[in-house]
Amino acid sequence: MSDVVLRGIRKAYGEIQTIHGVDLDIRDGEFIVFVGPSGCGKSTLLRMIAGLEDITQGEMLIGGERVNDTPPAKRGVAMVFQSYALYPHMSVYDNMAFGLKLAGVGQNETRTAVERAAKILQIEHLLDRKPKALSGGQRQRVAIGRAIVRKPNVFLFDEPLSNLDAALRVQMRIEITKLHRELATTMIYVTHDQVEAMTLADRIVVLQAGKVEQVGAPLELYHHPANLFVAGFIGSPKMNFVDARISAVEQRGITVQLSDGSSVTAAVESAGASVGAKVTLGIRPEHFCFDTEDATNRISGCVMAVEQLGEATYLYLEVQGAADMLVVRADAAHPARRGETVQLRLPAERCYLFNETGLAYQRRAAVELSK
Amino acid sequence: MAVVLDKSHRWRVIAAHVFLLAFIAAIIFPFLMIISISLRPGNYAVGELIPSEISLEHWKLALGISYQGLDGQLVEPQFPVLLWLWNSIKIAAMSAAIGLLLSTTCAYAFARMQFKGKRMMMNSLLLMQMFPSVLALVAIYAIFDRIGSHVPALGIDTHGGLVLAYTGGIALHIWTIKGYFDTIPVEIEEAAKVDGATPFQAFRYVLLPMALPILMVVFLLAFIQGIIEYPIASVLLHEKDNLTLAVGAKQFLYPQHYRWGDFAAAAILSGLPITAVFLLAQKWMISGLTAGGVKG
Ligand SMILES: Nc1ncnc2c1ncn2[C@@H]1O[C@H](COP(=O)(O)OP(=O)(O)O)[C@@H](O)[C@H]1O
Ligand SMILES: [Mg+2]
Repeated sequence: MSDVVLRGIRKAYGEIQTIHGVDLDIRDGEFIVFVGPSGCGKSTLLRMIAGLEDITQGEMLIGGERVNDTPPAKRGVAMVFQSYALYPHMSVYDNMAFGLKLAGVGQNETRTAVERAAKILQIEHLLDRKPKALSGGQRQRVAIGRAIVRKPNVFLFDEPLSNLDAALRVQMRIEITKLHRELATTMIYVTHDQVEAMTLADRIVVLQAGKVEQVGAPLELYHHPANLFVAGFIGSPKMNFVDARISAVEQRGITVQLSDGSSVTAAVESAGASVGAKVTLGIRPEHFCFDTEDATNRISGCVMAVEQLGEATYLYLEVQGAADMLVVRADAAHPARRGETVQLRLPAERCYLFNETGLAYQRRAAVELSK
Repeated sequence: MAVVLDKSHRWRVIAAHVFLLAFIAAIIFPFLMIISISLRPGNYAVGELIPSEISLEHWKLALGISYQGLDGQLVEPQFPVLLWLWNSIKIAAMSAAIGLLLSTTCAYAFARMQFKGKRMMMNSLLLMQMFPSVLALVAIYAIFDRIGSHVPALGIDTHGGLVLAYTGGIALHIWTIKGYFDTIPVEIEEAAKVDGATPFQAFRYVLLPMALPILMVVFLLAFIQGIIEYPIASVLLHEKDNLTLAVGAKQFLYPQHYRWGDFAAAAILSGLPITAVFLLAQKWMISGLTAGGVKG
């Protein structure tokens, strides 16, 4: 087991820089998830930790030792590739035993280790098969099995579930969580799927365009996104954003005026806010209220589309002055129809507010407690 | 396949069969001719395809057995045909093996390593190989003459020299193998490296086994090339006992006397090792070796 430390890590392919200085402390035994849109540099970062890409600038330590110039074989890491990358000419058993053979582990010991891993992953009956005779989910298990037999200090996963169908993905997600509990090894997991990130991670690292946007526990990112990008990335469907202007800065929060004239108060710290400044108001689809007794913090919109999912109904509202349609999560039985106008309340303690550069105003700490 | 077919499909199938049969006949005919010539008494190139009289005189000569001539005299085999055949096999096998070793490692470097001038080197390899080696014969002779004065085992009239000359012609093999390496996903070797393999181990235990079919194809091509090559061998080899079969068999055809029958028997003999190597190599030329390694 090892901690992993990244200090000012940069990566350039020729002239083009793809990782712009990443600092990160990954604790021993932690489950860290790198999440971000496609092409943001997650794989590159992971491959640098594995030693498959050299580090252009910065310093990397695994278990306290500088590994910048250590080849992958000597880093004590194991990696599960997005494409599985099994050895097609070897049986499942040989695939899993390969690393131990190279390390000169005896035959009996190898057999025990492989069989134990196969048992954990429930692939004991597949040991004699070649990878081409396996289904996608089975191949994925073999790839994970190959990683665990070596008892690495750090596990690296590069989008291991993205090739599986939805049901299998959920099942494997749970198994990976279980695996982490059993092995208690440091795991670094890359995904573009924020649901995977939220469910698996001890801490999430949100990346965009080669930069770390925010590092934090899943709920911390959900409740206290540092900026517009994280706010929009975490949560599904994504947070609604509406342009606004600050009309009053008070003790209970900041009041903003939307372009249709309505006023909304957000319960955020007022540090750095000044009347007249351009801001972005954010609210998640699941946080709108339909109660009508309170007359403040209301907006109205015209229903453009209704999506009934059974467990809930999503309304797509056109609000005057908002660039995009607002997505609102309502009860499954909500009677709204297309073309109707609905009144919504935005609870002040549920609102997010971002300044012109996209940074969030600190939300009042009481928020999570009321959840 | 249970695809529904058009009526005209049947006619197209028949036409295709007729075309293919004609094509096969065109290929097989010369071969049958050679067999026929080698079995006819006397040394005539022309004549009926199925000989009216069968004589084994050419084969006896080729296999080094003396026989009773028409005039009652015992005809001693003039040329060591079997020795030539052995020389050919030896040289072809050695040059193919060494060539395969060199071209595989070269191809690995070109396919998997980053270095300056890679593109230029690959292209110049191919361009240089396109220059017909026949036109460089003088140079080849001069080079091996000079090499021989320093390393006698690689000079003129040595098999080592000829093998060296043949292994120089591997540019196309490098391209072929590199092309195949390029189709094998790099992740599989990367997985091996993370698994603890050195770059050489990843090459030896992971990449090579997956590339086996193309290695066999290249070995076979190089072997055939070594058996049938004439110009360079004819310039480098002189001693009667040193010749390859391709060069030696030419001696049956001298201007005053074309000994077509003996030549034909020797030609068939030289085809035997090629057939044997092909049958052996075929076992390894299986497709689908890389299937299942990565998600397609
Ligand atoms: N070998 C390479 N040469 C040049 N650019 C690369 C190379 N590999 C990745 N990149 C670039 O680096 C960026 C990050 O890629 P990657 O780490 O694969 O993204 P992700 O895994 O987050 O989708 C991309 O913009 C990609 O184009
Ligand atoms: Mg990726």
